[in-house]
Amino acid sequence: MTSNTETIPGFKITKSLGVATGSTVRAKHIGKDILAGFKNIVGGEIKAYTELLMEARTEALGRMMLDAAQRGGNAVVNVRFATSSVAGGAAELFAYGTAVIVEQE
Amino acid sequence: MSELLNSTPIWLLIIYGIFFLFGAFFPAAFIYSMLFGWLHESKRTKKLVAREQRVAGISGGDNIHTLSKPINIERVSSAGLVMTNITVSPSWWQLFLGNIKSIFGGQIKSYDKVLAYGRAEVLQRLREQALGEGWTEIINVRVETSMVMNKVKGGQQNKIGTLEFLAFGTGIR
Repeated sequence: MTSNTETIPGFKITKSLGVATGSTVRAKHIGKDILAGFKNIVGGEIKAYTELLMEARTEALGRMMLDAAQRGGNAVVNVRFATSSVAGGAAELFAYGTAVIVEQE
Repeated sequence: MSELLNSTPIWLLIIYGIFFLFGAFFPAAFIYSMLFGWLHESKRTKKLVAREQRVAGISGGDNIHTLSKPINIERVSSAGLVMTNITVSPSWWQLFLGNIKSIFGGQIKSYDKVLAYGRAEVLQRLREQALGEGWTEIINVRVETSMVMNKVKGGQQNKIGTLEFLAFGTGIR
């Protein structure tokens, strides 16, 4: 279970297991970049980038949950996202939260 | 003329052709952006408004909010992170207008529209995702903005490029 609130409503945190993190670095595809350049002419959504970023962020979140599972947690609370451009055209997507053990109240 | 054409090597003709294509393409694309950009924009906005009304009709109001506790539910059976994103970019014409306006300063309306559209769209996607995945409501919604896919020149970001909006929250049911 993941949540970006400090506590999960209806659940009680019994133990905190530290920070769980997950990150991934992605670069854009040159062919897609050229197509995106054409899309830029009229503006609006650039689907290639939207999908790329969502895919990468899902992977970062998956790694974070794996980290939490290795610590023995069954939930991650207070999840945050961070994005930074490492070099031209590459982006790092980073997800972090607190691994906890929760019980239903 | 035909003699000249015959005496010119073929690779030179190909290079001329490429230069001509590029020379014609960019001005044509810019003019297209100027004349028809608003048409694409109003089409997008109309679609978005229609979707907003549809979802408001189903959920009877808004099913996302920024509070950290659920409002409509007494007993929570499960919770999960819900996230969605969009990347938007201004059109060439809007970029051109924005660049001119940024010389004098003040409000840049052409960028305003792009950002407003991006935020409205990403929140709408979150509402639709909540309905699709069966969450009754989404609490603690946050929207983040980043410029990830632009070129960095000389260590500083000197122009607006593709913007990403990320909306996420905790789904409750």
